[in-house]
Amino acid sequence: METTYTPKKNMNLLFAGMILIGIVAVITGFISDTQRTWANILLNNYYFITIAMGGLLFYSIQYITNSGWSAVIQRVPQALGGFLPVSAVLMLLLYFGLPQVYEWAQPGITETDKLIAHKEPFLNVPFFMIRMVLYFALFLAAGYMLRKYALLQDKQNDLKFHEKSRYYAQVYIFIGAIFFSFASKDWIMTIDSHWYSTLFGFRNMVLSMYYGVAAIILIILYLRSQGYFKEVNDAHFHDLGRYLFRFSIVYGYLWFMQFLIIWYANIPELTVYYQPRFLGEWQFIFYAELIINFAIPFMVMMSDELGKKPKVLTTISVLLLIGLWMNIYLQIMPGSYGPVKFGFVEVGMWLGYAGLFLGITFFALSKAFLIPKNHPYLEESLHHHI
Amino acid sequence: MAPKNIVATFRDEANLLKAVTRLKENKVNMLDVYGPFANHDLLKKLTSESKLPYAAVLYGIIAIVSIFGFMYYTSVIDYPIMYGGKPIFSFPPMVVIMFLFCILLTTILTVLTFHGRAMIFPGKPANIIDPSVTDDTFFLVLDQNYNPEEIKEWLKEDGAEEITEKEL
Repeated sequence: METTYTPKKNMNLLFAGMILIGIVAVITGFISDTQRTWANILLNNYYFITIAMGGLLFYSIQYITNSGWSAVIQRVPQALGGFLPVSAVLMLLLYFGLPQVYEWAQPGITETDKLIAHKEPFLNVPFFMIRMVLYFALFLAAGYMLRKYALLQDKQNDLKFHEKSRYYAQVYIFIGAIFFSFASKDWIMTIDSHWYSTLFGFRNMVLSMYYGVAAIILIILYLRSQGYFKEVNDAHFHDLGRYLFRFSIVYGYLWFMQFLIIWYANIPELTVYYQPRFLGEWQFIFYAELIINFAIPFMVMMSDELGKKPKVLTTISVLLLIGLWMNIYLQIMPGSYGPVKFGFVEVGMWLGYAGLFLGITFFALSKAFLIPKNHPYLEESLHHHI
Repeated sequence: MAPKNIVATFRDEANLLKAVTRLKENKVNMLDVYGPFANHDLLKKLTSESKLPYAAVLYGIIAIVSIFGFMYYTSVIDYPIMYGGKPIFSFPPMVVIMFLFCILLTTILTVLTFHGRAMIFPGKPANIIDPSVTDDTFFLVLDQNYNPEEIKEWLKEDGAEEITEKEL
């Protein structure tokens, strides 16, 4: 039980290479097109915050529901949360590019745009930054407590640490659910500052778990291919696959809820968001995203037998991580940048962030036992079968 | 005439599982298992060939196609009304109805199919193999087609409490 993951040296080299590509991409981006680069920085920050957040929300849910099956894999979602401190720093750097991304942050816009002037008490640069710091402070404080008590339990077999973990899981799910919804609205929805959707924050918060589970599956499968996690059996993959299936339905539901109401009401203030996406030049990505995030996972994971095969899970999870990128791309780019552009800047920066994210995640994994030693539900999890 | 079925009783579900696994390996046709509570492993072993999910998918497709046809006929061909400035044929509002009707029809037809296949219907007298099935005993019912003596031997080896022959 006391195995720890030791990253291979060439893995770290690979991550370093990816980060290097990312840095090159940022530099070329700033030389050629600053606005596009800032928008991409926001995109990739939000992309990996979503996955980290999804991991920790998943982790908290396991504690709140007293789930036994997931005890053996619970270090993976927890390690995903390790990216949050780094993402906080990277996100605060966005301060220097605010006017490039957010229309409302441009100096002097309040004089020409009455609607933004009306929203100014909320949408102004100092308050925006204060809120961002507040969100990260809360996420990090609660996330740190989760990590702390999980590690303490490894050292000392005492049920009170489990109770503490459970307590902080409740705190985290409260903080994560409320403030990540607000953060999504702040960071992404205000890009289209004339438009609003009451569902937006909730949708992004809930879907973070969708993509978090996809990342968890990929990491577990990678670790298995390296000879770890022999204890993870078919039933665990079956349960993770069920998560993907359920969330694909949630995705379709929330997507359609937001779309149908705006389509039906047909108010210019609201349709302004869907006009370029649904009818304009973003149409291709609009439909492709829906197929990748909803139709394919829904149809494939519907089958009980297919849904637990590692190859199928890998394919669907990789597709979902591409789908997440398209999802956020579609939320950010039309409002902040404009024309549809996909090139080295996008790919390179994603690679850079992915290298950083994976490096930190695997570092966090290697810092603790891969399987929580004294978890009270561990026995149940090891014998999990359906 | 000799009774048709072999009935084996088990007190321990683990023994029953062993017996079922062995019979399955030897391709013996098991008619049914009656028990006081559900056992997932057993369920998986016994129902892996169920065709009910395929029937459900078929019903779902039929439901979606038929309700789409109905709505298309009523709102586009037979009685087109323009309201809210929307095109006469507009897909988004149909999605909700298609979705709900798909669930409704699939549920009803699947339940009916299951009941028809399992020969359960209202007013049918309960077919309880033995009163103790509601207490603590599992019953495994087999055809007597293959090699009854060998099967009985296996069942005894795997820990059957009692093996009888019965006409069900």
